[in-house]
Amino acid sequence: MFNEDDIADIKAEKEKWVEEKGNHKDAETFRVTPSGIEIKNVYTPEDVGNLDYLKDVNFPGGYPYTRGVYPAMYRERPWTIRMFSGFATPEETNKRWKMLLNSGQTGFSAAVDLLTFYGADPDDPGVDAEVEVGTTGVPLYSIRGVEALVKDLPIEDISVALVTEPMTAIALTSAYFNVAKNNGVPLARVAGTTQNDIGTMCIGYITRDSLEPDKLLKLACDLIEYCTAMKEAPRWNPINFTTYNYREGGINAVQEIAFGFTNAVDHIEELLKRGWHIDDFASRLAFHLSADRNFFEEIAKYRAARRIWARLLAEKYKAKDPRSTIMKYHVQTAGSSLTAQQPMVNIPRTAIQALEAVLGGCQSLHTNSYDEAICLPTEEAVKLAVRTQQVIMEETGVADTIDPLAGSYYVEWLTGEIETRILDYMQKIETQGGFVKALASGWLYSEMQRAFNERQNAIAEGRETVVGINSHQEKDRKETYAPFKTNALAAGVEKERLVKLRKERNNQKIVALLDRLRADCTENKNVMPTVMELMGEGATLGEVAGIYREIWGIWDLPIAV
Amino acid sequence: MVKLGLDGHWRGITTVSLILKNAGMEVIFAGFQTIESAISIAEQEDVDVIGLSIHSGAHIPWTRKFVEGLKKRKLKDEFVLVVGGVIPDADVDALREIGADGIYGPGSTAEEIVRSIQEKVKEKRI
Repeated sequence: MFNEDDIADIKAEKEKWVEEKGNHKDAETFRVTPSGIEIKNVYTPEDVGNLDYLKDVNFPGGYPYTRGVYPAMYRERPWTIRMFSGFATPEETNKRWKMLLNSGQTGFSAAVDLLTFYGADPDDPGVDAEVEVGTTGVPLYSIRGVEALVKDLPIEDISVALVTEPMTAIALTSAYFNVAKNNGVPLARVAGTTQNDIGTMCIGYITRDSLEPDKLLKLACDLIEYCTAMKEAPRWNPINFTTYNYREGGINAVQEIAFGFTNAVDHIEELLKRGWHIDDFASRLAFHLSADRNFFEEIAKYRAARRIWARLLAEKYKAKDPRSTIMKYHVQTAGSSLTAQQPMVNIPRTAIQALEAVLGGCQSLHTNSYDEAICLPTEEAVKLAVRTQQVIMEETGVADTIDPLAGSYYVEWLTGEIETRILDYMQKIETQGGFVKALASGWLYSEMQRAFNERQNAIAEGRETVVGINSHQEKDRKETYAPFKTNALAAGVEKERLVKLRKERNNQKIVALLDRLRADCTENKNVMPTVMELMGEGATLGEVAGIYREIWGIWDLPIAV
Repeated sequence: MVKLGLDGHWRGITTVSLILKNAGMEVIFAGFQTIESAISIAEQEDVDVIGLSIHSGAHIPWTRKFVEGLKKRKLKDEFVLVVGGVIPDADVDALREIGADGIYGPGSTAEEIVRSIQEKVKEKRI
């Protein structure tokens, strides 16, 4: 960005400055980011001399989208305030969602319970419903649960994220699509996202009785094919590569993006194999990233990720449609950075992470509540988290100009450095045969466990500081608030809902459709059309997932300690 | 070391298992188990300690059911029962009342957990 003579002058002046100020020691000392990047005391044009503004940075909305995916970004439309929320029963979650809507939330995200995630009904003998229904999220076992969840909410105007994985993603999305149709909203107008990420199901969080990774990949691609390539639900994001969840497992910012992109590459390859063109589906491949504790590293990560994605899609996959090359993502502040000790400190911690997400150009944002290190958030805590976003959005002015940190010698240098490291790490995963193979072999697990152990050691040895844990500790760590409790009676409510459904639906039709699903699985057909019918007829998530497990069997995880 | 039910938050159990292993203990990493199968493994392997890792908020009902399972087989006094996970301070007394010998919520350090388990095993053996 600077001519060679200027750079030479700056270099000479810098040497003089170090000499005059006597700060040799500081100039030779590096600080290290969580990704292991060495940071100097000061950055100058010398560090970004090779950067080509038009080629590498460009204007917002211009390839390779380093400065943001839209030309007007938040000046035209602020990011969506999308809080991840769900507990107890659909009716109680519906109340919480309305409270969030009244507080200024602009998008929804359903946290589902363990049975919904797994694909089990509350009367499944292998499940302890009394203990597990509604404890970690909202139970959505059939179309009836989804109906109750979105009751009185304007489906045609809102966007909803269904946070569940390939085992139940198709069934739950189908339930939602059927509810929309029954409410007179055509699929062409339904907006939202299904998480549908095989990585989430297998790393960070591990689902019991999962399918082998290549079967999960098949199911994930079925949903992408149906919604986007076949244009059945063109406004729906049929997948959201949730690198946030991988990150929470202990890996660093570089690994986060490399895991996510190599995962996406495996989906792209599968869909190309099915005969689609890259532009038939790439515009709806979405991401969900983390905002962790190192402020500038996270911002540089977002900028680098957009640049890598654009070039990957345009150069390697020859995407012609610009929409195929833009990387759109949701951000969640890092749950793993929250502390149970001195919980109010989580409020500024989350606010700073939210600021990273905004300065990095996210499309939507979830801010954690201060009590989430020990429980699901109370209403008061979650409202405060929404207000945190509103302070950033409405008071600080940080969104008045687009990508305000562009041109900072440090941020531009760091963006380039992270980009190089992500590309190197992606190469490392590719030499393992790609993401899905590295998952099946257990390689990803050992990478994650190693990263996590390293981080734990860094905290234990004081190389990494966490306020309240190894710095500024306080002896008395009693909570200063009453932890939120979910409804202990939720299992009864859900069992009753299921009994009623089974009585009222056409069971013969369900049996026939389940047979068709068996055939679809055996013949390797796209299961989505059959599951759409099934869920419309009142089938349950447990019935659909039960067929997958019956036909494909259960994966023996390559995990060991 | 056991995960009960469907709760798939595994980072805690793998990490604590490693901590115990590094402290010189023999660790049987059982992963997902039912209450019955977990107790059977504990019996067959003749372990000193059973560790439950619970991150779903359901630590109270799971611990209660587990203790009932032990009592049904007259094994409650055979093992030290420890529970780790996302456990608020407010629930610690209730868990102790139910029969958990050690409770390790957020912020527990490796040293604390190792020392506590060693002490409780010593007490049990006397």
